[in-house]
Amino acid sequence: MSLSLAVSSTGPRAQAGGFLGLLGVAGRRVFFALAVVAILLIFIGPVAILLLTSVRPPSGVYYIWRGWEFTLDNFAEVLAQPVVLHSMWNSFVLSSIATVASLGVTVGSGYMLSRFTGPIQRSWFGIIYVFRTVPYISWVLPLYLVTTNLGIYDTYLGLLLPHVAVHVCFFSWIMKGFFDSISPSMEHAALIDGCTRWGAFRRVALPSAMPGIAALAILSWLWTWNEFLFGLILTAQRTPVITVTMAQFVTETGTEWHLMSATAVLAMLPALLITIFGQKYVVRGLRM
Amino acid sequence: MSICKSLRLLAGLGLAAGLSALAPGAASAATDLTICYMNHPVQAANLAILEKWAKKQDINLTKTPMSYSIYLPKITQMLANNSTGQCDIIWHNDDWGQDWAQYLVSTDDIPEIKNVAEGQLEPFFNEKGQPTTVPMATTAGIFFYRTDLVSEAEVPKTWDDLVKVSQKLQKEGKVKWGYVGGMTFTNTFFSFWWSLWNNNCDVYAPAYERDNAVLSKNGWKPMTADACQVQTAEFWWDALHKNNISPPGMSTYSRDEANAIFQAGDAAFTVADSTLLGTYNDPKKSKAAGHVGMARFPQGPMSKEHRSWIDIWGWSIPKSVTPEKQKAAKALLGAMMTDYEGQIAQWEQTGGPPPNSKVWAMLDKSDPVWRQVKGILFDSAHVHDAYYFRNWAVVHKTYSDILIKAVTGAREDIPKVLTEGAPAIHQGAMR
Amino acid sequence: MSMAPVSAAHRPRLLGEKERFMLLLIAPAALVLLSFEVVPILIGMNASFRDWSLVNPQKTWVGLRHYVEVFTDPVFLKIVLPNTFILMVSSVTLSLVFGLALAHLLKRQFFGRILIQTVVLLPLTIAPVITATMMRWSFNDQFGILTNLLAVIGVPQVGWLSERWPSFIIIILTDVWIWTPWFTIILLAALQGLPKEPYEAAQIDAASKWGIFTHVTLPLLRPVIAVCVLIRAIDAFRTFDQVWVLTGGGPARSTEVFSVYAYVEAFVNLDLGRGAAAAGAGAIIMLAVGLGLYAIVNRAMEVSR
Repeated sequence: MSLSLAVSSTGPRAQAGGFLGLLGVAGRRVFFALAVVAILLIFIGPVAILLLTSVRPPSGVYYIWRGWEFTLDNFAEVLAQPVVLHSMWNSFVLSSIATVASLGVTVGSGYMLSRFTGPIQRSWFGIIYVFRTVPYISWVLPLYLVTTNLGIYDTYLGLLLPHVAVHVCFFSWIMKGFFDSISPSMEHAALIDGCTRWGAFRRVALPSAMPGIAALAILSWLWTWNEFLFGLILTAQRTPVITVTMAQFVTETGTEWHLMSATAVLAMLPALLITIFGQKYVVRGLRM
Repeated sequence: MSICKSLRLLAGLGLAAGLSALAPGAASAATDLTICYMNHPVQAANLAILEKWAKKQDINLTKTPMSYSIYLPKITQMLANNSTGQCDIIWHNDDWGQDWAQYLVSTDDIPEIKNVAEGQLEPFFNEKGQPTTVPMATTAGIFFYRTDLVSEAEVPKTWDDLVKVSQKLQKEGKVKWGYVGGMTFTNTFFSFWWSLWNNNCDVYAPAYERDNAVLSKNGWKPMTADACQVQTAEFWWDALHKNNISPPGMSTYSRDEANAIFQAGDAAFTVADSTLLGTYNDPKKSKAAGHVGMARFPQGPMSKEHRSWIDIWGWSIPKSVTPEKQKAAKALLGAMMTDYEGQIAQWEQTGGPPPNSKVWAMLDKSDPVWRQVKGILFDSAHVHDAYYFRNWAVVHKTYSDILIKAVTGAREDIPKVLTEGAPAIHQGAMR
Repeated sequence: MSMAPVSAAHRPRLLGEKERFMLLLIAPAALVLLSFEVVPILIGMNASFRDWSLVNPQKTWVGLRHYVEVFTDPVFLKIVLPNTFILMVSSVTLSLVFGLALAHLLKRQFFGRILIQTVVLLPLTIAPVITATMMRWSFNDQFGILTNLLAVIGVPQVGWLSERWPSFIIIILTDVWIWTPWFTIILLAALQGLPKEPYEAAQIDAASKWGIFTHVTLPLLRPVIAVCVLIRAIDAFRTFDQVWVLTGGGPARSTEVFSVYAYVEAFVNLDLGRGAAAAGAGAIIMLAVGLGLYAIVNRAMEVSR
């Protein structure tokens, strides 16, 4: 596919198909194979570099192409630090709860945006859009003040609620898309049958939107897992998260890159599992 | 699946989190102290001393390591906001001395607090002239060289020597690069500044003055466009682009890149914190292990004498901490300050000079490496690193941007870039 | 203004009952948004009008002074804003093109498709900070593995990150690598959900593959593409991690983008007042750009209907 795009920029439209045609079946196969190899290289490359770094001894983490010594010591050293597993567990719990909470909080909001009109809907959409455009930077430092004053700094709750807040705008918007793609006729029927609005929403609209919600859940989980800035500002020793623990290998006198990359590889594993097993649902569910 | 369920779950968890937040402190009779710091070998070693004493003094010490990237803004906001319960003891760096003094308790009454090298507590003085920190180690930059490539007699004494020796080694194929050091923002010490301070030059005139009142009287006059500064910039430009004694990408290097190259055995010289001696000599981490020598900085053409910078890291106690906890924290830090054996162990483990100068006298007798480090760092003229200027952070970033611009542009533009940059450095302090 | 389909059948049976239900639906979201986004933003905005250094918060009212300083700062106007928009436009365009290409590839059935799809999604599994750090090491002029690989095929071993444009291109490519999977997955889902009829009609007309793509696929995908671009463009405006890790905005501020500018003011210079004003200035600009984009996207959607 990238192929035909490239061709289009050089030749007139009609000849593009012809060019591929000229190559013949074998030529097209080769081209296809080349494209696949290129994609594999581009997307695996950086991950491979990270993996390679994580199994190199400290003397070889920068010049990874020099020498053949490999070791699992980095992993052993990292896993010997209780904070690493603790923060992976924290991140896991946080990502899971934040995902459920974000979806729970925004599903109604998305439904409202999709099914209703009028000043309330318009203003809510406006608010969501406007706050989506506000940069994080203007908001993280005061957030520290807010969580401190509420007494929830460095607790699960103090980390969870801001994460949900980040997701409110974006998820409401995406949820609206899910409901937009479902015909409201079933809900109308349910209402006529004597269901309450709440009943129509819960029993009719919500189940039809589930594939989309599942897809969003997986993306949400991955984003929260990899989130850095909020964790950095809002956590200390009680609720460390994995990205922040990784950052602690950066000190004023240098980075412990061998430990950091080993931790990064460990942190990648759950995310990878979720991606592998979840991709089917994501692709199916995002069909808006 | 249902919202109700997830909301109930959420509420439950919130409650649980709230309860678990309340739980510590309720049960035990011992004093709880939370210590906030950065993961660094010296801090870890000093913490080990503190933990040892905490056990004896019935103190529960909770360690809160923080990422360096956020430490300063987060702690500053905590202090200015008078927040309690987060950190009872904080790592304190001379960089922030004048900014934090107003929020920290005086440490005047800690035993042997005055036993530090001359002037080292000054940056931490509050308005009354009392120190606000308890030192844990001295940090200082030092010139490292490869003893397998350069004999002690050949060690460069001047910038010219540095170029000549480097080029000779490079031509003979013994090493890929002569000098490598960090250059990007916050790594300014390891290239621009050691050379600046060893060329009779400084950021503001009069040179080496750190009393803000005097500097203010002189109108915070930058030395950026002066000949001594131009020479420094030209030296680094030549090192990168003409003499080729340093990697062409060095203007983007932090300590990480510089250390990587020195430890790979690809460079003959570097400047770094003296605490890195342990790392450079660790065969697991460094190909240069066993061949690392230390020396004085090479001197610039206008230099009058060798100048090293020395400053301390310490532990401090915020004023917002309750009186009982303040007392416990002081007792703990005092125990560390008088733990001579612990401090010697810290030095041997990390290369971080002991905080108490009484221990220095003990090491003078027993440890030749110590004698060498002490000779280079302490028995010479000093400059406090530039942290004592007003609005230090702004000045540092501005300075770094101007010098990087100068050494990555055309050589003939250097005086112009520096002249144009000078007003920004003046305004940095005035802001 | 609304993109929602109007459902005229929803006439309120009881006046106010519908409105109450609407408010109930948005209440949880609104509450969280208010406490953890609106309130902090208001605190930040308040700081932007005051002399509020983190070290010594005087908190005296200075009016619009900080905003004037930001909007008259030549670095902000001549370097930061252009960089921000270049990054936004190029990153979004490239990730869209690659995402579209990959989605088209993955739409077909072929041996190893699931494997390729998993590989394409790899960037989603790594924290952007780690990706950026890795790129920084990989492009080092001495030990960077990519620099050394490029040297093998004859590209000079230069300091990629020590000049403005090479380092900026690396920033853009890193951003594209991070975000292409996102476009791919959404566009793939959209492609699989497209109706069959238009394609059958096109095949009867014997249109070329490219012709089918431009005349059938693209118009059908337009709404999805529009929303994707809108969302990503807003996000790209505040890109921070990649730039901060890769270049720190250097050399000499030449690759600084808006978020880095605001970050330096607030977190490096510890000037919360001016940092908040810089963030506020960005928000104002982004709001204007966002509304413009929204209008364009809305029109694109209208056209496609």
